[in-house]
Amino acid sequence: MSNGTIILLMAGLFLGLGYFGVPVVFAITAGVLVGVFFTPVSMPSIIGQLFIGIDSEALLAVPFFLLVGEIMTNADITSRMIRLSQVLVGHLRGGLAQVVTIFSLFFAGISGSSTADVAALTKTIAPEMDKEGYDKAFVAALIGSASTMANLIPPSIMAVVYGATGNVSIGGLFLGGVVPGLVVGIGLMIFSFFFGPIGIMRKRGTLTEFVDAVKDSAIPMLIPFIIMGGILTGFFTPTEAGMVAAMYTAFVVVPLINKGHVKNLYRDFTNAGLMYALPMSAVAAASAFGWMLAYLRGPDVVSGWISGFAGTDPLMIMFLLVVLFVIIGDFMDAIPAIIIFMPIITSLAELGNINHVHMGVVIITTLAFGLITPPYGLALLLSAKFVGVSFGTAVVRSLPMYLVFFAAIAFCIFFPEVVLWLPKKFLPASVGCFPSPSGTGYICP
Amino acid sequence: MSSELSSASESTSFLLDERDRHLKWRSFDIIEKTLVLLSGLCIVGFTLSVFFDVTTRLIQAPWLWLQQATTGFFAYGVFIGMAVASRRNEHMYLTEFVANLSGSIRRKLEIFSRLVCLVVALLMIYFGWLNMLHDMGSFRMPSLIPMGYYTASVPLSAFFIAIFMIEQLYNGIKNGFDNELNRSKP
Repeated sequence: MSNGTIILLMAGLFLGLGYFGVPVVFAITAGVLVGVFFTPVSMPSIIGQLFIGIDSEALLAVPFFLLVGEIMTNADITSRMIRLSQVLVGHLRGGLAQVVTIFSLFFAGISGSSTADVAALTKTIAPEMDKEGYDKAFVAALIGSASTMANLIPPSIMAVVYGATGNVSIGGLFLGGVVPGLVVGIGLMIFSFFFGPIGIMRKRGTLTEFVDAVKDSAIPMLIPFIIMGGILTGFFTPTEAGMVAAMYTAFVVVPLINKGHVKNLYRDFTNAGLMYALPMSAVAAASAFGWMLAYLRGPDVVSGWISGFAGTDPLMIMFLLVVLFVIIGDFMDAIPAIIIFMPIITSLAELGNINHVHMGVVIITTLAFGLITPPYGLALLLSAKFVGVSFGTAVVRSLPMYLVFFAAIAFCIFFPEVVLWLPKKFLPASVGCFPSPSGTGYICP
Repeated sequence: MSSELSSASESTSFLLDERDRHLKWRSFDIIEKTLVLLSGLCIVGFTLSVFFDVTTRLIQAPWLWLQQATTGFFAYGVFIGMAVASRRNEHMYLTEFVANLSGSIRRKLEIFSRLVCLVVALLMIYFGWLNMLHDMGSFRMPSLIPMGYYTASVPLSAFFIAIFMIEQLYNGIKNGFDNELNRSKP
């Protein structure tokens, strides 16, 4: 059997079994095991690949960011950040819709998980929006769309997985994600302002209210500074920064803000322990799939197709990759997608001489968009479920918001200098810059 | 006394997921509780080991073996969590297509899905065991812990997944997979 046929068989089995209700991790593993049957690869070594896939120091950051989100949500600390968001933007047209976006922007800087963001917003702001007469489908669409920022604004779990798998600087990806994160946030605010429901117009918050809200939320809002400060100064790796953020949340934020929750911290730890197992088991299975794909020279085949159309034009390569990942993101979760297709991404980045951090930011933004596209838009699926509206209705209401994501992706492709400005400024080595022989500053290719 | 009882029951309830009770045997609840506890211990374990890794490095007396402990806790946490998610039916799915069905088609697809998981789990047990035996000959530096102790997490997890799949298949075939159908029974 030819390599191409084996790859098609593996992919077909994964998607076929997945759509017939087999959990993703087992569907991928089943595809891999059947594929191995037609190759000289030994079964024990491919099962060993499940362990090797998660045996990475960088991936340890994932549970820490999930833990921070879990504690913040369960200890009701997020309500303080919601109050601050209300004081800042609650008076604008579509006040609560603006609050959703601003809160997501803040929370994205803490948790890195879209699902934690959806859980926090659907529990807190969604009922208020319902009372104010917001259309439920709009609420679900907006919460789903805004929650995708968690994958763009640092710390981002997708960036951790991308960096760990592709050997790309995680700090560079974190900083590169800020621009598309802000473009999505500002875009959603403009969309809600002009095209969303008006809601109840509130009075602008006074200076005293603003100062009070900032004081109340100052302690949890230090977390992004701890994480990024530690990484940028080179003091911590992303994993260690995640651990410090988790310790700070559990042993400083909670005792100071919600003492009563201290006795429930063990539950948050246990829940986070189970939560991180889900994406990481998908990472394990996907890395075995990715290994087989590489063994069967899949990256050469796909990059051959793409380079056949695009040559070595970096813009065309990125455009075709975006199209590919929009389709992939419609059908599968972002984390397995990153791992399975990483060899293809790497070979195309080299072919087009594209900066790896730039490529990573474009791919992560595209996959973040996949969180709200049918049939497998995880963030939108969750928000629709929690808000109490059908997924189909939420999809229809989110269609105009897709324009915001198209704009963000296009911006990332066409303005690499803007995307890479922060990494170049703060982590020049992450984007391939090297110290100047004169000893002052860096030289960037 | 009643508050003690309620807090005791509260403290155990998070260890056990009561959803889809009709698919579970009570005698297996203890396995789920134990695995959830172990999963909690794993995350606490690797949080502490990363903490001590940073601290000992700061005081210029690094404990190098901590990194091996960290990856061990992490890997066991992942695979134990995978087994718990199999009993709780909390894995990631590509679609909710099957959950929205009812009747005989739903029943057939639920059985098919669990049979696939069971076969995959059995293969993971057998080949994972062989891989573990092979890995007993490779060692992690600097602690010289055999790699097999780490890769044993795969067949171990698969063993629990397999017994949970058998549990769900037996009870699902007997009681039905659909919650609503099950509730409507006397």
